[in-house]
Amino acid sequence: MTLILGVLEEGLIYAVMALGVYITYKILDFPDLSVDSTFPMGAALTASALLAGMDPVLTLILSFAAGAAAGCVTGLIHVKLKVRDLLSGIIVMTGLYSVNLRLAGGRANVPVFNQDTIFENPFLADVIPALLSPYLMVLILFLIILICKVLLDLYLNTRSGYLLRAVGDNEALVTSLAKDKGMVKILGLAIANGFSALAGSIYCQHKGFFEISVGTGTIVIGLASVIIGIQLLCPENGVSLPSRLGLPQVRPTTAVIAGSVVYKACISLAISMGMEANDLKLITSILFLIILVVSTERRKKVKGLA
Amino acid sequence: MMKKSMKAKTLFLAAAAAALLAGCSGSSDSKDKTYTIGIGQFAAHGSLDNCREGFLLGLAEEGFVEGENLTVLYENSQADGGMASQIVTNFAAQKVDLICGIATPMAQTAYGVGKKQNIPVIYTAVTDPVAAELAGSDGAPVGEITGTSDKLPVRQQLEMIRAILPEARTIGILFTTSEVNSLSTIEEYKAAAPDYGFEIVDTGISATADVPLAADSLLEKVDCLTNLTDNTVVASLPVILDKAAKKNIPVFGSEIEQVKIGCLAAMGLDYIELGKQTGRMAAAVLRGEKKASEMNFEVIEEAAFYGNTKVAENLGLTFPKDLTSSAKEMFAEITQ
Repeated sequence: MTLILGVLEEGLIYAVMALGVYITYKILDFPDLSVDSTFPMGAALTASALLAGMDPVLTLILSFAAGAAAGCVTGLIHVKLKVRDLLSGIIVMTGLYSVNLRLAGGRANVPVFNQDTIFENPFLADVIPALLSPYLMVLILFLIILICKVLLDLYLNTRSGYLLRAVGDNEALVTSLAKDKGMVKILGLAIANGFSALAGSIYCQHKGFFEISVGTGTIVIGLASVIIGIQLLCPENGVSLPSRLGLPQVRPTTAVIAGSVVYKACISLAISMGMEANDLKLITSILFLIILVVSTERRKKVKGLA
Repeated sequence: MMKKSMKAKTLFLAAAAAALLAGCSGSSDSKDKTYTIGIGQFAAHGSLDNCREGFLLGLAEEGFVEGENLTVLYENSQADGGMASQIVTNFAAQKVDLICGIATPMAQTAYGVGKKQNIPVIYTAVTDPVAAELAGSDGAPVGEITGTSDKLPVRQQLEMIRAILPEARTIGILFTTSEVNSLSTIEEYKAAAPDYGFEIVDTGISATADVPLAADSLLEKVDCLTNLTDNTVVASLPVILDKAAKKNIPVFGSEIEQVKIGCLAAMGLDYIELGKQTGRMAAAVLRGEKKASEMNFEVIEEAAFYGNTKVAENLGLTFPKDLTSSAKEMFAEITQ
């Protein structure tokens, strides 16, 4: 039970970030590496803000805003300065490392064990019965991810959201509608990195400290979650698992959240099976490759048939 | 009537269970009960490996022997914060009796998870448990967590450098700006150095890749170098030693492993001893004698002198007699 709760907690925290990666990687077709630094950015900002006495819920919003600003920078570098997508992400990622240390007051490790957080505060202590407390974190995380998902779904169905999706599929169409595709990209990157920083903020409050190394490999987790989730639950081609089982179609956002939990479960399983942490990155990348190859195979076949 | 007998039955069962439990705990000493502990190590390098080794030795001295009455789960997070958290969560899921967190981020992660699951945490190689918020300013634990600190004996190190190099004026220190432990130790060095007639020149780096250039520029400005327990710098020590040797500048270490690989000398910590001390604390918690929250964190009081005569010979230096006579261990060669 502890294991399941642990996996759910980890998975749901990273799912917030994965929603962002879904926007950049899946919708915009933009391999955005800046999430590796916006995730710790949210954590750094949250640690400092909590120590300064800020309300824990407000730190979530603050982190989202800061992440969005960083995403804008990536977008501006790419769109206005015409730097290649991968490189713009790398530039922002590298630069933010220093910014993050500054945000954390020049320290690489800031504990907030003794501060109120969204998981531990007097209000919750009063309201939540003791019986529920082992599930409290999962419940709160579930609530947060639900809000994020619904908001994102709603946004994707607005005019601006449609444009966002169009840019990834067919840039020319957007231009023909007399819309600036660059602005749409910047907006998408801002939202994506906002989510990443939000996840970092939640992570910091969940663990009770900020540590500069928490961002390592964020993008890998994000991509893995998106690819696993989408391939498993709503592949673009072929029949999805839910429809085979006679269940209603799930939205991609839901699939991404599930993907994040599945990914964390796989890692957890690998550790329990006695796999050394040293080998996990290799296993992740192989898993990654297999899923990618399998999915492109299928796409080719479908194209061939058509 | 029916209800009443049910109640009686439940009561009886509860009493029986309680008696059974009491019987168990009464007869359980460390000999016939088996324990499971999880050791999470933040990164892999000599000092931290020694901590782990010492920790198991310390436990063994107290009658907790791996493979006999102790199951040890060991994971290394390879300096990845996210991985550290999953490792500890897994330990918790396997219902370990105790988590040992080696190095600050792992200790903090373990505490975060442990306090939710009521698993005591013992840490080691945490330089400043107070700054890490694992202990209050009086040294008392913040929860079910305690352990040992690897705070460097700064003054003794300065005294030793003065004894070996009577002429030296400046000491260079290379450190990683993102390592909290290094920052606090540098402050201490800067405060203490004037008392011994030294000036500290520090150069910060942000990653392993910066080491060669930073070392070159620092070596231009100083009479000798001294090391902290900075993870990044210690891991790149061979590069620094090589550059310093070419310029005939002595490098002082902070613990035994560094002297083995070519530092001139160190007033250092013996991480195996530190680990043992930690192991004994863990044993007290496992036996139920003391709770982790009842023990203040401990530091090693006495630093020991380690010297490398081969390095001294290469530099054309000799160690003062009173240092060598009190040496814990002297090395006559440089192990690569």
